Amino acid sequence: MSEQSVSTELMSENEVRQRRLDVKSLDNPKAMKLYRRFDGIFILVLFSFLALGVQIQFTLTAGDWDYWIDWRDRRWWPVVAPMTLLMFIGPLAYGLWYRLRLPVVATAVTTLLCLTSWLSRYLNFYEFTYFPMSFVPASTYIGLGILLDCSLIMTRSLIISCIIGGGLFGALVWPLNWPIFAASKVPVEFNGMLLSMADLMGFQYIRTTTPEYLRIIEESTLRTFGGSVTPLTAVFAGLVGIVVYALFLLLGKWINGLDKYAKRIA
Amino acid sequence: MKVVFSARSATVNLVLVLLLSLFAGDVVAHGERAQLASMRMRTVHWFDLNVAPLKVKVGDIVTVTGKFYTSELWPNQLPSPEDTVYLNIGVPGPTFIKLDASVNEVPMVRSTAFELGKVYEYRIIMRARIPGRYHVHSLLNVKDAGSLVGKGTWVEVEDHSGGPVPFVNEATTLTGETVNLETYGLGDVFVWHVVWIVLGIAYIVYWLARRELFIPRFIRVREMGQDKADEILTKRDFVVSSVFFTLTLAVILGGYLWGENKYPITIPLQTGKVDVVGLTPPTGELDIEVESARYELAGRSLMINAVLTNRSDQAYSIGEFLTANIRFLNSAISGPTTYPEEEMVAFDGLTVTGDSVIPPGASRPVKMVASDALWEQYRMTGLINDPDSRFAGLLFYFDEDGKRYYQEIGGPILPTFF
Repeated sequence: MSEQSVSTELMSENEVRQRRLDVKSLDNPKAMKLYRRFDGIFILVLFSFLALGVQIQFTLTAGDWDYWIDWRDRRWWPVVAPMTLLMFIGPLAYGLWYRLRLPVVATAVTTLLCLTSWLSRYLNFYEFTYFPMSFVPASTYIGLGILLDCSLIMTRSLIISCIIGGGLFGALVWPLNWPIFAASKVPVEFNGMLLSMADLMGFQYIRTTTPEYLRIIEESTLRTFGGSVTPLTAVFAGLVGIVVYALFLLLGKWINGLDKYAKRIA
Repeated sequence: MKVVFSARSATVNLVLVLLLSLFAGDVVAHGERAQLASMRMRTVHWFDLNVAPLKVKVGDIVTVTGKFYTSELWPNQLPSPEDTVYLNIGVPGPTFIKLDASVNEVPMVRSTAFELGKVYEYRIIMRARIPGRYHVHSLLNVKDAGSLVGKGTWVEVEDHSGGPVPFVNEATTLTGETVNLETYGLGDVFVWHVVWIVLGIAYIVYWLARRELFIPRFIRVREMGQDKADEILTKRDFVVSSVFFTLTLAVILGGYLWGENKYPITIPLQTGKVDVVGLTPPTGELDIEVESARYELAGRSLMINAVLTNRSDQAYSIGEFLTANIRFLNSAISGPTTYPEEEMVAFDGLTVTGDSVIPPGASRPVKMVASDALWEQYRMTGLINDPDSRFAGLLFYFDEDGKRYYQEIGGPILPTFF
C-alpha cells in the first residue's frame, strides 16, 4: 500500500476536500498569478537563506582551509571542504526532492557560496585587511553541485544519487579546483629552501594570529601506493562524501517527518 | 503607563552615537596590555628591540632586530615554546611584507622550537606595502598558548611623492618565470570562476524559470503521492540534466588537463620544522638569590630582596630590571641605553637600596625597587588576580668596562594592600 493512500485514508473529509480545491486552483489563472508572486518572494527568501546559511556554516567548519591559498593542501582540504558542504546540502536536498521534486539545492548552494565567497574575499580580505586577491582566491564547488543534482534527476533515487553524486562530490574537488590554484604549487627557492609559491606568499603576507603551524599539511595515513596521495585522497573523500551525504539525507528525512506535529497542533 | 521613548531622546541618542563614531580614536594596540600580568612577566622577555627606519615610503625596507629570553619560570598551565613556535610580526594585516626572518642566523620560514632559559637573537626584514602609521611588534605564536607580543614601535609609511604607485612583489620560480605575487595567477582564477558561475546559473535558471514552481509543484506532488511523483519530471528534464552532467565532467577533466599543461612542474605545500640552538645568557660571575618579593598595590612598585654574590675579579653595577616588556632603568648607572622612540621605558624606575655596585668577592643583601606609573598604564596591577603569584624578569648589570651581563630572576610574590 502506498504512503499516499495510507495518508489519504487517515485524512479527514474536510482535508480531502481542501486538497481537491488546491488541485483545482491550478487551472485558475488568478490563483496561478498569486502562486507565481509567492514563488518570486520564496525564491528571494530561499536564496538569501541558502547564501547566508552556507556562508556561515562553511566559515565555521571549513574556515581558514578555504581562505588561504597556502592552507589548501592535497590531503586535508579535499576531505573537509566537500564534507562540510554536504552536511548543509543533505537535509535541504531531501526536503526539496520529497516535497517538490526539485533537484537544484546542491547547485544553488555551491553557486551562492562561490558568489558570497568572492564578495567576502573582496570586501573583508582585500579592501579591509589588504591581502592580495591572489593569496585568498575563492575555491569553486559549482561543478560538484551540478553533478549531485543531475545524478538525482537522472536516477530519480536519493540512494543511488547519494552513491554516485555524493561520491563524485568528494572525489572531484581537487581536479575541479586544479586550474584555479595549480599556479600556487609552482616551486620556488627561498633562503636555500624549496617552497611552493603558496608557501612563499604565506610567509610574506603577514597574518599575525594565523601562524604557519596551524596549517594541516600532509597529515594523514594515506601514504601507500607509491605516494599517489592525490588519487588516494580523492577515493577517500569520495567515500566520506557518500557517508556524510547519506547521514544528512537521513537527517533531512527526520526533519521532514516533523510536519506530523504541525498537523496535530492544527 | 509612562512613555519612556520619545522622538527627542531618540534624536539626542542618535547625535551622541554619531559624535562618538566621528571622534573615536583609532585602535592602536595589539593586546600587549590585555594578557595576564604574570603571563607577560614569565614567558618571553623581549629586549634590545630596534626598528629602523621609522619613516619610510611604500616599497622601502624596514628592519626589526632584537633579542628575547625564554623564561625558565614559564607558567606550568601554559603550553611552552619547547613544542612549536613561530616568529611573527604584529601589524594590522599585510601592511608590510616579510622578506626575511632569522633567529640566531637560522632562516625562520617555518615554525621551530625554543628551549627555555636561552637567548635568541632575531632579525626580520620587511618591505612597506600600505601607507599608514603602524605599531610594529615582534611576536611569538606559541602553539596552544597564542601570541606573546613584544613591545611596539611606531613606523610611518608614506606614499611616493608622485602619488600612489602599485605595489609590486616579484619572485622568480624554479622554472625561471618572474612573477608579481600581488596578481599571480589571478587571470586564470577569474576565467575559471566565470565558467563555473555561468554553468551554475544556467542550471538554476533551467529549473526555476518555469510556470509551475513551488506551490503548484507542491500541490501536484502531494496529489500524485511519492510513488508517482517522479512523473512530474519530464523527458526534457532528463535530457537537459544528462547534458549538464556530461558537460560538467568534461569541463572538470578539461580544466584539470589545462592546469597540468600550463603548470607541468608543481610541488605539494611544504611543511616541517626548523632547528635553532639557543644561546646561553651572559651571566658573568654573579650569583643572585631572590629572598622575597612584594608588590605594593598603592605605590605601584615591585620590591625585590635578593642576595648578590660577586665571584668575579671586577665590580658589577645593577643597571636595569626588565619585566613584561617594561624597562626599569637605574639612573645612577650609565650603562643602559635606549633606542629612538622606544616605548615602555621608566628612565628612573629602578632604585637599589644601599650601594648598587657589588665589589669583587662580595656578597650583599640588596633591595631593588622597580616603581613607575607604567605598572598602572600597562595593567600590571592585575598581578593580584593571577592564578600563580610568581614574578620573573631580567636583571641587567655592567662590569667596570661597561660590558653588559644579564640573568633571569624570579620567585613567589606577595601583595601589599596598604
